[in-house]
Amino acid sequence: MNINIIQIVLTVCITLIAIYMYMRLRSGLFDIILIGLFFVGGIFFTFFPETTNAIAHFVGVSKGANLLLYSAILFLFFLILKLYSRLRKIEEKFTELVRNKSLEEAEEMKEKD
Amino acid sequence: MTDTKSIFVIIPCYNEGSVIRQTVEEVLAKGYRVVIVDDCSRDNSRKQLSGLPLYYLRHRVNLGQGAALQTGIDFSKKKGAKYFVTFDADGQHDCNDIAGMVEFLEQENADIVFGSRFLPGAKTNVSRSRSVALNLGRYINYFFSGILLSDSFNGLRLFSRQAVEKIKITENRMAHPVEILMLTAANKIKYAEYPVAIHYSDYSKGKGLKNKDGIKILFEIFLHKIFR
Repeated sequence: MNINIIQIVLTVCITLIAIYMYMRLRSGLFDIILIGLFFVGGIFFTFFPETTNAIAHFVGVSKGANLLLYSAILFLFFLILKLYSRLRKIEEKFTELVRNKSLEEAEEMKEKD
Repeated sequence: MTDTKSIFVIIPCYNEGSVIRQTVEEVLAKGYRVVIVDDCSRDNSRKQLSGLPLYYLRHRVNLGQGAALQTGIDFSKKKGAKYFVTFDADGQHDCNDIAGMVEFLEQENADIVFGSRFLPGAKTNVSRSRSVALNLGRYINYFFSGILLSDSFNGLRLFSRQAVEKIKITENRMAHPVEILMLTAANKIKYAEYPVAIHYSDYSKGKGLKNKDGIKILFEIFLHKIFR
């Protein structure tokens, strides 16, 4: 079996990401299963890339790489929207905090003659 | 005749030290209560106001004009205001218009009166390019809110107590005029327009909205529509 450079690079990256994710969120069984699936799936598709073509054909896309690109764009777009909405919520809370503080500290200035 | 002490004039300010005192003195001379919301100015605004009888609030962090207005409204509500006026700090408005707006609101039985520099009877020295931009802006506001005003971005407005109970500004920065319109429409608040003077000085031209800010406002409204 021939091993390409890209397969080595991908294997190293996937392994490192899996280890990092495991260290970050080793809390529950669910996380471990998720990370395990990511790891096994990633390695599998790295060494048997033709299988992605089969999946792509099944949903009506010509190549596995294209399918990956389309789904990645959709996923990233979804992620950006989520981040924006999170950002707005944080800003709302932050505004409330600053506002309440300023209401507490409001001063009534008096006329000086 | 409404008691002028029940009319709260909310003036958001951000680095307006050179003009704020004159603006405030004119409003105070009319007998209105003044609420200054200092949006974390880095200049001497606070010192400029010393010796004037007013309420002074300060945001510890700069949040934007919309946020400052809402802070001023919240505060005035607590102080038992009957009428809430939003007023720009840069001296472009004429406080002589406020009395007429209050009278008009009562006469029309409305809950919001929007000041307009484009109605017959309004005195203004608005430039031609600004005029075109504002005209475009009013159709964009109409598109988003369903309310077509003659002047889309006028900082002088009058709210009744009933109106401020229903309107809460969450757009901290430049999109708040549109948000106010959207909330007015959504809550079916009765509104009217009243001709007011706008005097652009070289100072006020340098501050405030620029025509190019239109793009930013559009983007903020777009986000507002998606996430609310």
